[in-house]
Amino acid sequence: MNIVDLMNSNGLYLAFLGSAIAAGLAGIGSAIGVGIVGQAAAGVVTEDPEKFGRTLLLQALPGTQGIYGLLIAFLIWTKIGVFGEAVEVSMQQGLMFLMVGIPIGLVGFISAIYQGKAAAAGCSIIAKRPEELAKGMVYAAMVETYAVLALLASFLMLNGIRL
Amino acid sequence: MAIVKMKKVGLIALQSEKESVVKRLQKFGGLHIINLEEQICDIKFKDLLVDGEIDKLNQLEAELSQVKYAYDFITKYDKEKKKMFEQKLQVSEKEYNENLNEKQKRDDIYEQCRSIDAKFSELRNAETKISNLIQQLIPWKSMNAELENLKNTRNANIVLGYLLTKYVEEFKDAVYHSDAEVHIEEISRDKENTFIFLIYHKSEDDKISTIQKQFGWSKVTFSDLTGTPAENISKLNSDIDQLGNVKVELAAQAEKLVEHKDFVKVSYDILSNERDKSAVVRSFAKTEKSFMLYGWVPEKQTAALTSAMEEITDKFWIQYEDPDKDEEFPVLLDNPMIVKPLEMITEQYSLPNSRALDPNLIMAPFFVMFFGMMVSDAGYGIVLAISTAIALLVLKPQGGMGKMLGLLCLGGISTFIWGAMFGGWFGVNLRPLWFNPLDNPLKMLIFVLILGVIQLYVGIGLQAYKNIRVGKYLDALFDQGFWYIFLTGLMMMALPQFAVIGKFMAIGGAVGLIATQGRSEKGIIKKLINGVLSLYNVTGFLGDVLSYSRLFALGLATGVIGTVVNAMSSMLGGSFFGNILMVFFMIFGHTFNIAINVLGAYVHSSRLQYVEFFGKFFEGDGKPFVPFRTLSKYTK
Repeated sequence: MNIVDLMNSNGLYLAFLGSAIAAGLAGIGSAIGVGIVGQAAAGVVTEDPEKFGRTLLLQALPGTQGIYGLLIAFLIWTKIGVFGEAVEVSMQQGLMFLMVGIPIGLVGFISAIYQGKAAAAGCSIIAKRPEELAKGMVYAAMVETYAVLALLASFLMLNGIRL
Repeated sequence: MAIVKMKKVGLIALQSEKESVVKRLQKFGGLHIINLEEQICDIKFKDLLVDGEIDKLNQLEAELSQVKYAYDFITKYDKEKKKMFEQKLQVSEKEYNENLNEKQKRDDIYEQCRSIDAKFSELRNAETKISNLIQQLIPWKSMNAELENLKNTRNANIVLGYLLTKYVEEFKDAVYHSDAEVHIEEISRDKENTFIFLIYHKSEDDKISTIQKQFGWSKVTFSDLTGTPAENISKLNSDIDQLGNVKVELAAQAEKLVEHKDFVKVSYDILSNERDKSAVVRSFAKTEKSFMLYGWVPEKQTAALTSAMEEITDKFWIQYEDPDKDEEFPVLLDNPMIVKPLEMITEQYSLPNSRALDPNLIMAPFFVMFFGMMVSDAGYGIVLAISTAIALLVLKPQGGMGKMLGLLCLGGISTFIWGAMFGGWFGVNLRPLWFNPLDNPLKMLIFVLILGVIQLYVGIGLQAYKNIRVGKYLDALFDQGFWYIFLTGLMMMALPQFAVIGKFMAIGGAVGLIATQGRSEKGIIKKLINGVLSLYNVTGFLGDVLSYSRLFALGLATGVIGTVVNAMSSMLGGSFFGNILMVFFMIFGHTFNIAINVLGAYVHSSRLQYVEFFGKFFEGDGKPFVPFRTLSKYTK
């Protein structure tokens, strides 16, 4: 194998790195976010165990970023043939895959944490005025908007890569 | 659209017939009663007094709280499992009155509950006391001496005590070096402390107590006990066992009370009903012989109300008025069956103002469509629609639960339709009826943004309708009409074949906006500046439209996660156990995917209504219509 071949096939590593950023960073963010809400929710449930279901709804909200990250990672894998026949990926294409992972990875990471904080504050709405749960959820969903936009950005970028 | 028109009712009748009137009104159940207490202080009603007997009300409240206590107590010992949807008890008029008169029985049950509860807490106290004593005795268990003999003699002091184990050696050293005549014996050690037995001559008392203070000695005494510690411990343990027996007996007594469960439930409903009747009278005004009430009743029910009154008496005066021009009235929404579940979404935001629009009918198709597009898997849609439909038919839940299930059922049907359009079936991509968004993302993106523009235009249109309804035609033209022209022009500029006409429209709209948006300001400069600044709102509109891209992104998420679930579970397949595992994993994975996406679709679809749609026209803060009626928890 000469150096040119090596250059051509090295793109796979970069593509993997891109999918790792997407699934990894967004997953970390979701884990932190869900954890933050869990702590607040446990406090509410010590006072009133019947509010478990409602707090669980809030806790699920920052979990979606991790899913979006995995989604992009999965689409990258499908495209580079992890599940089927391996595809040749050049260095340039690999770099593109790497960049595909960045929007959802970074935005997912940070937005999940802040969404977790907003949802944790929503738990105190549940503690005092359980009938206003929907408003707490909407506050948290406002944060998620940007993760959704980042998902869209990553997806459209990925869609533009031709192999 | 569908805020029910209300009439203000004034009713005067005789005090002597008050009881039957109140009872009939409660049965009528469509009258929202206004509390007149504040107005009675006013000039208008200055000869009137607040009606109602506060003593009777307080007594009913007290009895009610007793019954509530008894019910809570009994349910604790009720072995029958609590069902999610309890069957309500049937109570006839006769049983109602019988139950109401059984104050003695209610008091008895309450007293029994109280005494059992009191005995229980006594027992618990005794138990804690004994187990504390046992804890104190345990370190001395190995000491083979009667506790009553461990008293000071004529010349010697006998002391029990403990100190932190880390100081024991130093303590012993100090005692030996003080040359006092002392016998030290270590009895036992636990995690932190060492328990020590000391005998010394009385004359050494000062020396010893100085050393004790220095090392943090804590003295232990067992003043009332006789016998060795070990004997005491076993005796106390048997005491605890005995207490346990008493507890079992008490629990049996408590369980006997469970037979009164139904009686207590009925009592609870009956008393709260009586309480409600007694409380509502506090909103009336009275003279010596008559009373007066004001309230709101739906326009359609006025005749029914009059005839309900005529049934019981002919000595009354009733009057219906339209609300004053600026008077707020309580809000009752009236929507077709299929839109009813959507009311929940609006109510969670805020009830519409009584003078505003009820958005539910117009919002319904958007909400349901968006929900379906975000879940967008035909298989999931079938599962969701069928499971919620079954729940609705079998359980017949009322109130919030019923609306929620209805909403999910509508969402499920919509999900099925959109799933079939886009070709997603349980994460498997089959031939779509329309197109697959994964293959043609740009088409999908443009489609959802167009949906967004449509909904936003409808929102702006509703605001214009509101202006036109109250005769502000110019406001409708300036604030909404020009925006329509401007925005439509801008969008047409993006299409080559309409670019020219679009440009003129945009310019025309913009000129109109600049000329009119500052009209409330004084001075031509300020008017102009405000007019120009108003154009900046176009970014807000752009943001609103882009927000609808979530319809695509969330739909994408469902489909791809479904595919991931399928791909991963099929890796497990092959062997016999593998296949079983695969099926489990698939069921689990798809269930999870449905749950998380339904939650997401619900939240984000709501958000699109609240932030993007309602922001254009909605006026909230309506006061709900709360009719005076029979409320029951356990009976019907």
